[in-house]
Amino acid sequence: MYFNSLAFGVFLAVVWLVYQFTPDRHRWLALALASLGFYASLKAPLLLFALGLVAILSYALGHCIARQENDALKLRLLWVGIAVNIGVLCLVKYLQPIAGVLCPSLVPAGRQVNLFVTIGVSYFTLQAICYLADIYLGRVEPERHLGRFALYLGFFPKLLQGPIERAGDLLPQLQAPYRCSYENMRSGALLFAWGLFKKTAVANRLALYVNTVYGDVHSYGGVSLLMATYMYAIQIYADFSGYTDMALGVARFFNIRLTQNFNSPYLATSVADFWRRWHISFSRWILDYIFRPLQVLWRGGGNYGTAAALLVTFLFSGLWHGVAWGFVIWGLLHGTYLAGSVFYKPWASRIAQRLGFQNHPVRRVVQTVVTFHLVCMAWIFFRAGSVADGWYVLTHLLGGVGGYLAAAFENLRHLTQHKELVDPILLGKTLPRFLLLLASLAVFGTASLLRDCIRIQARSAWVRWPAYYLLASATAFLGVYNDVGFVYFQF
Amino acid sequence: MISDRLKRVILTELQLDEFSLEDSTIADTVPGWDSLSHTRIITAVEAEYGIHFKTVEVIRLKNVGDLQALVDRKLA
Repeated sequence: MYFNSLAFGVFLAVVWLVYQFTPDRHRWLALALASLGFYASLKAPLLLFALGLVAILSYALGHCIARQENDALKLRLLWVGIAVNIGVLCLVKYLQPIAGVLCPSLVPAGRQVNLFVTIGVSYFTLQAICYLADIYLGRVEPERHLGRFALYLGFFPKLLQGPIERAGDLLPQLQAPYRCSYENMRSGALLFAWGLFKKTAVANRLALYVNTVYGDVHSYGGVSLLMATYMYAIQIYADFSGYTDMALGVARFFNIRLTQNFNSPYLATSVADFWRRWHISFSRWILDYIFRPLQVLWRGGGNYGTAAALLVTFLFSGLWHGVAWGFVIWGLLHGTYLAGSVFYKPWASRIAQRLGFQNHPVRRVVQTVVTFHLVCMAWIFFRAGSVADGWYVLTHLLGGVGGYLAAAFENLRHLTQHKELVDPILLGKTLPRFLLLLASLAVFGTASLLRDCIRIQARSAWVRWPAYYLLASATAFLGVYNDVGFVYFQF
Repeated sequence: MISDRLKRVILTELQLDEFSLEDSTIADTVPGWDSLSHTRIITAVEAEYGIHFKTVEVIRLKNVGDLQALVDRKLA
């Protein structure tokens, strides 16, 4: 049941109605049953088993850790909890390759019953680990109510793709009494609608182009490869942030505020800044629970210790996305960027300060453009079907681009009459379709820029309602509705 | 109460002449105190007092007061 499906709309309406008439002390049960039903709709029994196992074991271990006075035993219990969650994650994620080796005949039957579907496990296992770590560090008390704890892990708006919520943020909200809030309903609906537009009109439409090129990279030249790479950067942002907005919007219907996961990531002025703006709940997780402990452990190595901690952290990040060389290279590229900046940044700042342009706007623009291209370079390996394809794209990105730009500039007024100039951009699609893509991107860009300036919810109904209708119309007219799930479902 | 000796170590690492460091002061509020300088500060404090902190002890620190309390426990 995807967020952008009619079935989900019906499901949400029913759950919300039931929630309104449920007494406060049983509201957790209403949401827990709804979340169970939501997860069960994937028809993947192993996932329900994994969620149940993680919930029960993490709940029990959380109490054991809190009660244990001996620090060494406390730490050992934490490691047991980490091992259990990583074990469940690995078992579910790699069940198919394991079955393929041990019992190949099981694999076709297993696919029929969705035995190898893994959606959501990567998120709630990390959430369970951070819950146990926070208890160990004395940041939170263990949750007494098993049902509420299970709901904390499996709350349906954030179950499939996060955000990864900290216990201190979500558990108190699940315990708070509920009063229907028109403001939350209104802002939740708008957030959901905005997320739906991003997913259907921007991400799905870009995917038509990106999949064409990245599905057969050797058939395309530099201009097309460059176009598809830029498009993918926008696609994955629109897809994932679209899902997040829908999740946050749905949660608001129940007066629950989930963590913001994105903050204009492509406006980042450095790769470190990018990771403070992209998949924020995940980057905070790896920063707090992998990077910081390693950095402190290896502090004797000074900057080299920090650089090594960054490389290990982002290797984990790559592997969390999937055990494939493409993800490993993506992770290590980001690790290398960040490790390099440990040595490079102090010098660059000092030079900029001495030359007097530390805060110059041109410097900021250059930093933003360079950062965006470093991130795009890493996205190539994230998206490509294989490392060989990724390497091909990287080494052919600029092939013929100079000549193309010169020819395009010469024939600017009659561009559409030159097939050899138009085809590399259209990527096999028709011109009207491409114009629809441009329209989607124009709406996306304009609305994103205006969103903070206009603060639509504070305006009068004369401004709000036309904006709502415009958004709904743009979604209906420009949206691509197919069965493709969200990109981050696969992680 | 933060000792003058600890204040001097922290401010020297951060290259600050003056800054008010109280028990409740957190890293984010001190200019230049980021994750890189944090480990330099910890290493400098260890060297100054001839003590060694466990990793988990450092991670548990929430503010300068916690750091002072940890130093006092190690010296006791």
